[in-house]
Amino acid sequence: MNLESLIHAQLEGEITQEQHAQLENLLREDWQARRLYLELADQHARLLQQPQIGTGRLHQTSAAFQPLRWKKFVPALATVAVITLAFVFWPRETIDTEATSNGVAMLSQTMDAEFAQNSLRSGDTINPGIIKLAKGLAQIEFFSGATALIEGSAEIEVISAWEARCVSGRVRVHVPPAAKGFLMHAPGMKLEDLGTEFALNVKDNTSAVHVFEGEVIAHTDKAPSSLKEGMTLGQTTADFLPISELQGLVKQRQGQRHADWQKWSQEARKDPRLIAYYTFKHWPDDRWDRLVNNFAEPRRKERAGGAVGAQWTQGRWPEKEALEFKRPGDRVRLNLDGTYQALTLACWVKVDSVDKKYNSLLLTDGYDNGEPHWQIFEDGSLMFSIAYRPDSQIKAGKYNQMYYSKPVFTADSLGRWHHLAVSYDNQSGAVIQYFDGQEVSREISALHQPGRDIAFGPCEIGNWGLPTAGHPFPIRNLNGAIDEFAIYSAVQGADEVKAMFEAGKVE
Amino acid sequence: MPGSPNNMENLILLLTQHQAALFRYIFSLVPCEADARDILQETSVALFRKFEQYDATRPFLPWAYRFAYLQVQKHREKSARSPLLFSEDVIDLIANERAHIEPQLDERLRLLDACLGKLTPQDKELVTCRYALRQSAEEMMNRFALSRRTLFRNLELLRQRLHECVTRQLQAEGLA
Repeated sequence: MNLESLIHAQLEGEITQEQHAQLENLLREDWQARRLYLELADQHARLLQQPQIGTGRLHQTSAAFQPLRWKKFVPALATVAVITLAFVFWPRETIDTEATSNGVAMLSQTMDAEFAQNSLRSGDTINPGIIKLAKGLAQIEFFSGATALIEGSAEIEVISAWEARCVSGRVRVHVPPAAKGFLMHAPGMKLEDLGTEFALNVKDNTSAVHVFEGEVIAHTDKAPSSLKEGMTLGQTTADFLPISELQGLVKQRQGQRHADWQKWSQEARKDPRLIAYYTFKHWPDDRWDRLVNNFAEPRRKERAGGAVGAQWTQGRWPEKEALEFKRPGDRVRLNLDGTYQALTLACWVKVDSVDKKYNSLLLTDGYDNGEPHWQIFEDGSLMFSIAYRPDSQIKAGKYNQMYYSKPVFTADSLGRWHHLAVSYDNQSGAVIQYFDGQEVSREISALHQPGRDIAFGPCEIGNWGLPTAGHPFPIRNLNGAIDEFAIYSAVQGADEVKAMFEAGKVE
Repeated sequence: MPGSPNNMENLILLLTQHQAALFRYIFSLVPCEADARDILQETSVALFRKFEQYDATRPFLPWAYRFAYLQVQKHREKSARSPLLFSEDVIDLIANERAHIEPQLDERLRLLDACLGKLTPQDKELVTCRYALRQSAEEMMNRFALSRRTLFRNLELLRQRLHECVTRQLQAEGLA
């Protein structure tokens, strides 16, 4: 056998003892043999780790591994931490895994709803299981297309996208043609919906159903019966749940929340510490439609912003406006004069996706001394940075004071309105970051030196910088919408940030 | 403390980033996949225990290789009777040689993808069965209606073609 064949036999474990000894001798004697062995072994090792063909992935040092054998490993573990660690850096799949969910429905709207599972919020995906609504109203949209409105107190078991059970309470179900066949179980009956709208009252293990529209097949202990529009089966003392209720109440409450916020905002804009305050309200008579007014009082029109690309959209409430940032060019241009000793940046943002390495909130055009950059990092954490470099240095890199929070944007917080804030004091050097009124990081950079000025100058919301002619620019546009942005020349304390959040929260 | 959350996070990041390279290093010294994976696990535990000694200003891999090397030695002692392991002196020679040519090995892997893309459909199927699906020799013998001898001969030729393709690419780039 020649050297090549010996190496391949060794790699496949198809080698005899004699051949192995022969290979060892060749490797001992000849560095070229060792090189060939190393090249072939390395190639084999890589194929074992990343066997995909032509996916362009072989350049990457990605963590694609087979499940590992755990023999004799476990007793060696000193701490639970190591187990966690081992699971984290040994993903179980060879091929890229796609995110999955067991969800079969989503909670689309709620009104003063209190759930036994107190973490449930509107917008959440619902997995099969029991939902106990203590009070209020909740609308569940099944992935099949069926929609159920529930009034507390009620207990509903979500079985699948096509099936649910009402254990108790008042429910109203709408089934569009695409969801025909949707099954609703109730004590003593099973309702098969043929594309319709019906209501169900369950109390003390007794069911009553009323069909408002279309047809329902009711399976009871007797022969299946067809219920048509206007027909009722079973006895109930309560009215059937009307549909108008939720929509009307939700609208009413949204109007109330918006009015409350407006009231707060009218006062807040008089804060003398404000450098600028944008509420993203634009005048119907602004024919260019691009002006982002600065509402800080006394009014300083030179600090108004100019929208580029970004489109007007709905904000936290139906009556509230926002700007949406989607495309690489979308931004709001600002020019804020002055130098400052402290700052607080606060905004309401709905992040649809953290899909870039850096996702802009507010950045100055360049990155000169004392200019703040506020972004969302790719892992979903908030990232504030400011640089002061000595005159002799050209690059800011190692003088960059960077502050990261823990990741706050996760699948759970995307697509919802959140309040973000950061404060920085050039005396103490403390950077404090907030998410929904709660402190999420507090840090002083090792590079901090007291008393260095903060400046903005030309800057923008939702993107970064004007490209130099002829040069490519990094794509950092936010993917989401902003409907309030306040810039203060002072540190807003934890209580004040909390108050901003409380005044502006959606529900 | 090795268990402090910050250190833990750093180690996880470093290991995630470098585990493929670490596996390749170990595999070159112990060319048996299952053993190499075990050694990689034991190396990770050792790194975890000694992580407080790691100087973050130095590159991680050379430091990690030292632990991997020690684990390879331990593994050899434990399985001394296994006839297909390399002798200690051969392991040392290979490890030394590898340190010299590591940049070239990395270059080769960079080009491997393009070469995989150029394989004939038959060869691609063979790669998929052997490496992605992890089929046993018996399964592949059935699937391709080949004798054991011919199957391993084909695998050898396949890997040889990939190796030559990569070498040609390197020469074309003037790097060989």
